Amino acid sequence: MYAYQLENNPYPSSPTPTEKDARILGGKRHKEAKSAILECIKELCNKIGGRDSNDGDFRVITLIQDVGSGKTHLALHIKNLQSRHNTVCTFLDLSTISPKAMSSLYNAIIKGFENEFFVQLRTKLVEYIRDRAEQGDNSAKKALDYSFVNKLSGLTIKQKAEEIISGKAYVSVENIKKFLVQWFNYYESNLIKNIITNSFDTVANLEELLGMMAAISKLTHRFLSKIVLYEIDEFDGNQDSIEFVKGIINAHLPASVVLLISTPSGYAEIQGKSPSVFDRLEKANYKIDLVGSNSQEELLEIVLEYIKHNDKKGKFTQKTQDELDEKIRVLYDEFPEFRSVRSIINILYHAMEKSAELDLEKIDETAIDETIKHTYPGLKVRGSIMAVPISDFISIRRTCEDESTGTQLKKAVTNLVNFAHEMGNIGKLEKQNQPLDVIYQDPYGSKIGIAVVINENHAKNFEEISNISKSSALVDKLVILTNSNLPSSESTIIINVDKSKMVDLLYFNNRYVDHKIGSFDNEKVQTLARTVNII
Amino acid sequence: MSEEVLERIVSAGINGIKKAELKKTFGKNCDNILQKLIDAEQIFVEKKGIAYFVWARDDYVLYLSQNDPKCKIVLSMAIEQSRSADKVNKYANIETINKIPQQNVAGQESDFKSEFDRRLTESSTSIGWAPFSDIRKKICDSKKISPENFYSMAAELVERHKERYEVSSGGQEGIVMRGLVHGYVRNI
Repeated sequence: MYAYQLENNPYPSSPTPTEKDARILGGKRHKEAKSAILECIKELCNKIGGRDSNDGDFRVITLIQDVGSGKTHLALHIKNLQSRHNTVCTFLDLSTISPKAMSSLYNAIIKGFENEFFVQLRTKLVEYIRDRAEQGDNSAKKALDYSFVNKLSGLTIKQKAEEIISGKAYVSVENIKKFLVQWFNYYESNLIKNIITNSFDTVANLEELLGMMAAISKLTHRFLSKIVLYEIDEFDGNQDSIEFVKGIINAHLPASVVLLISTPSGYAEIQGKSPSVFDRLEKANYKIDLVGSNSQEELLEIVLEYIKHNDKKGKFTQKTQDELDEKIRVLYDEFPEFRSVRSIINILYHAMEKSAELDLEKIDETAIDETIKHTYPGLKVRGSIMAVPISDFISIRRTCEDESTGTQLKKAVTNLVNFAHEMGNIGKLEKQNQPLDVIYQDPYGSKIGIAVVINENHAKNFEEISNISKSSALVDKLVILTNSNLPSSESTIIINVDKSKMVDLLYFNNRYVDHKIGSFDNEKVQTLARTVNII
Repeated sequence: MSEEVLERIVSAGINGIKKAELKKTFGKNCDNILQKLIDAEQIFVEKKGIAYFVWARDDYVLYLSQNDPKCKIVLSMAIEQSRSADKVNKYANIETINKIPQQNVAGQESDFKSEFDRRLTESSTSIGWAPFSDIRKKICDSKKISPENFYSMAAELVERHKERYEVSSGGQEGIVMRGLVHGYVRNI
């Protein structure tokens, strides 16, 4: 059993999304992008509904965003929705085709359609020929290989067509060609023959490729009343890819939408290599903007969506959502490595596996820590002197903005001074004298005073620091630890305590209080004491 | 002669020297010399017991501050006031010191940010993305800063305003994140 009592790991593990993974789509920005694509499809469907399509019924959509931001996921998600939106869709990943010969591209386009699409189209096409045959068209009868013997044996044209549809009988290849050329253009005839015989010819050049694509679109609209969505992924500055896309855009495929997916870097390559294609892309009918797709809020929504979608038992309560939310926020803030959809999903996939292995009720700090150790073994908390484990870091960092942080840090600094005294780094400790938190003597007998000033309100910090500075006469050296960014002065040394240093101090304090500071920690603690000017 | 008399008085320090002793050493003429020094406020004469003692000016102040209660009070008040004035001046200086670098840092950052935003708008395509290299060239030229400096400031700007900027991998130059060169940037 996985965390939150899920029966399966809700997160995908493949480095690139699969159609199955793409069934779930989370995130406000991704959902808005999805709506925009569907809007384009709907607009075109409405425009050409009830009439023949022509070359004006063509739309180009661009989707440009960084790697790992969910572009392919979105494209596959749209593909999964095809039956609901009067669309048939083919997904073509240009990075998987090499060399990008016309025949390879055509094969990839055909393979990109679902088999069900060809089954439906084949049925409709055979029914069309059947209708012609029933109306007395002899060439149609010949195409169906409906012979005199069939008639004598009592087999009707309808029954013959049904046998062909179910694969029990075959059309006459020779006669179907003769029939089709009467009613369809060269490419449409070839395509229909290919579909009915379940055998696709190859194409030799761009002209044939574009002819076949136009035929697919035209026949799909005519016989299935659907438009074709061509999703072309990994479009970049490759010359063959550019020529291919340029041809498609110039061909104005009827009843079609072309979704071009690229990265800003790929887009810039296209700009450099083919200004004419770049200009066409700049004038695309729809530019889908996944802006902010890697923002913290977007990632959180996506991550939570996977669990919500699989939470059949309702165990993923608001409280548990909030807890997971906080942990992910820390990961996002502190580790640039986890600021993309792909990387955060990967972490959560492994954390979920770990939760099953450790029989955890939820994804906790330990699961995340173990995951990071295994999947990102070299990852360390940036700037941590105490080598704080990531689990402790997440746990402490989450509380760093609490009101009690100031009090905890005062205790931590006091204990750090105690530790330095125990280690013989400083002289005797003196009685606390407000507003200073700690007073001690350095090895030369000078009196050192330390004050901790940590407030969310920086104006309050300035006020406190100003008051404390007046106590500089009480000591020979005054050190103020604060989260405000201030320079030191002649009389006062100001130490800026950032979140990383706060975590170090709080982690030290926890270990010191629990008597867990081992001899191997001494050096790290002394370094920490040096950074806050105690030693 | 006058200098010799003064030297002798100074050498006596805080305890001072008996006027009779000076007369013994320098003769009867020393009365005139002493009078001149008194007029010039270089020495002070005071009766202590039955004898007259002579002090140099600074030693006399010290003598009074230790032995005369009235003088002690007045002097400590004066010193306190002087210290307060010093402190006021010192804090005023600290505040100035504090404010100047803060203002400088904030000013530099805001200046860089506005220049960066301007160049980003100029360089971006219809989808908003712009190569860092284009922005870098323009800003390095106008601000006379090195490319290293530019990328250091740009990386800090993007990290500080994660909610305002978006970067994308690729390109020949840019800021390095997750071990990848991110050569494109845009406003969110």
